[in-house]
Amino acid sequence: MSSLPHLALARVSFTHPAAAAPGGAPACRAILDAVDLVVPRGAFVLLTGPSGAGKSTLLRLFCRLEEPGSGQVLLDGEAVDSLPPALLRRRVSYLQQTPCVVPGSVRENLLLPFGFRAAAGLPRPDDAALTELLASLAAEDIPLAQEAATLSVGQRQRLCLARALLTRPEVLLLDEPMSALDPSSARAVLAAAESFCLDAGGTVLLVSHAELAPDRVTPRHYRLEAGRLEPGRLMGGGAA
Amino acid sequence: MNPGVLDITPWRLALALVFSLLAGGCSLALKLGLGRDILIGTVRTFAQLFLMGWVLGLVFAVDSPWLVLGLFLVMAGAAAHTARGRVRESSVAFAWPMYASMAAVYLLVTITVTGAIVDATPWWKPQYFLPIGGMVLGNSMNSVAVALDRLFSDLRGHAAQVEMRLCLGADAAEASAEEVKSAVRAGLIPSINSMMAVGLVSIPGMMTGQILGGTDPSQAIRYQIVVMLMIVGATALGSTMLTLIIRRRCFGPGDRPLLR
Repeated sequence: MSSLPHLALARVSFTHPAAAAPGGAPACRAILDAVDLVVPRGAFVLLTGPSGAGKSTLLRLFCRLEEPGSGQVLLDGEAVDSLPPALLRRRVSYLQQTPCVVPGSVRENLLLPFGFRAAAGLPRPDDAALTELLASLAAEDIPLAQEAATLSVGQRQRLCLARALLTRPEVLLLDEPMSALDPSSARAVLAAAESFCLDAGGTVLLVSHAELAPDRVTPRHYRLEAGRLEPGRLMGGGAA
Repeated sequence: MNPGVLDITPWRLALALVFSLLAGGCSLALKLGLGRDILIGTVRTFAQLFLMGWVLGLVFAVDSPWLVLGLFLVMAGAAAHTARGRVRESSVAFAWPMYASMAAVYLLVTITVTGAIVDATPWWKPQYFLPIGGMVLGNSMNSVAVALDRLFSDLRGHAAQVEMRLCLGADAAEASAEEVKSAVRAGLIPSINSMMAVGLVSIPGMMTGQILGGTDPSQAIRYQIVVMLMIVGATALGSTMLTLIIRRRCFGPGDRPLLR
């Protein structure tokens, strides 16, 4: 197995263009300031920090939804901008904070990625496999034929997580996945992330506004504030 | 003068100003504040059409393909400039691709019509090429503006869905396929609606002109049919090509969406 870190940031800086001052040039707000991060394969990373600190931006850099102003973003030692974007996003799956579904049934939503060229060769799951996956996310109550638009936010979040898992990514980037969920839905999503890490050997980066205590893994905790990423204290957790 | 056409003397033309005065009166009575626009519009109508008449007379007299093509390109540039002004998006640079694509597509359509369907000899004969080219440009300009405006507003309005498709492994074309379809559809619908209504709701401009000029109505309708089909084809081709070219500009390196 490669000794390279699975994910890494090397002196990465990122600035957001802020509103221009009246009569002046547009001001820029530094979100990340020469940030370094090393994430081994199979790690469970918990990223916290105040609102607007740049936690989501940091996740989005790994799947090139944002581009750094300077520094390098690496996947398995390779710069992410050297990889074909669709292939990169198949390997590094980003789950948006607000779960997003397309018009159509739950089944159509789950099978959406299989219509894209990057999914060529990926086995298309049958209904039994889809139902089993939903059940593993405590979403067995969602019929495959139901219109996705009629689902609750918690159900949509689990649907989106199931859809991401179907593409067999190596990395899950979860952007505040529990922020709008009831406690049971939140537990199901966190358990699925832990299982992805422990059972599938995947790497998880989870952004959370609140502190979390997973049952089965001991997360590596980082806190992002004022453009700096600092190791946080370890939280209670499980074995990994 | 064509013996079939009744001459409009300068005095009778001036009499048509009654209609502008009528519009100005409505504006005054209802305090619409459009008096100045009606005045400027009237002056521009006279000035632009007299200028166009003079230029066309000159082009017909010189009878040179280069002059005809040059004038067509100026008209295409004006159409693209007008369409650009109707699109509200300012963060994506699309003016030059728009000018180039509109000129190329509409030149191709106009040459096909004059050379292959109307069978004008030569194909650039200004009496055919310029009016037909003008109709292609004038009608397609609106469709292109509608299509692009819809493309930009949908890519912004559906930013989360576009991003979600990208995150599931779609490339930029796959992630924005629905928005592109919706934009081309929006651009095409007015031309299709015109085909549905033609001959029922109105007698179209070209046919009216030919009939006033003494052409047999059975011949005038053939020209009008060609014009209607030509406009639908040009609109579809122009809207599709421009939407696809400009869609690419809505994504940055790494297929990163720029409109959100």
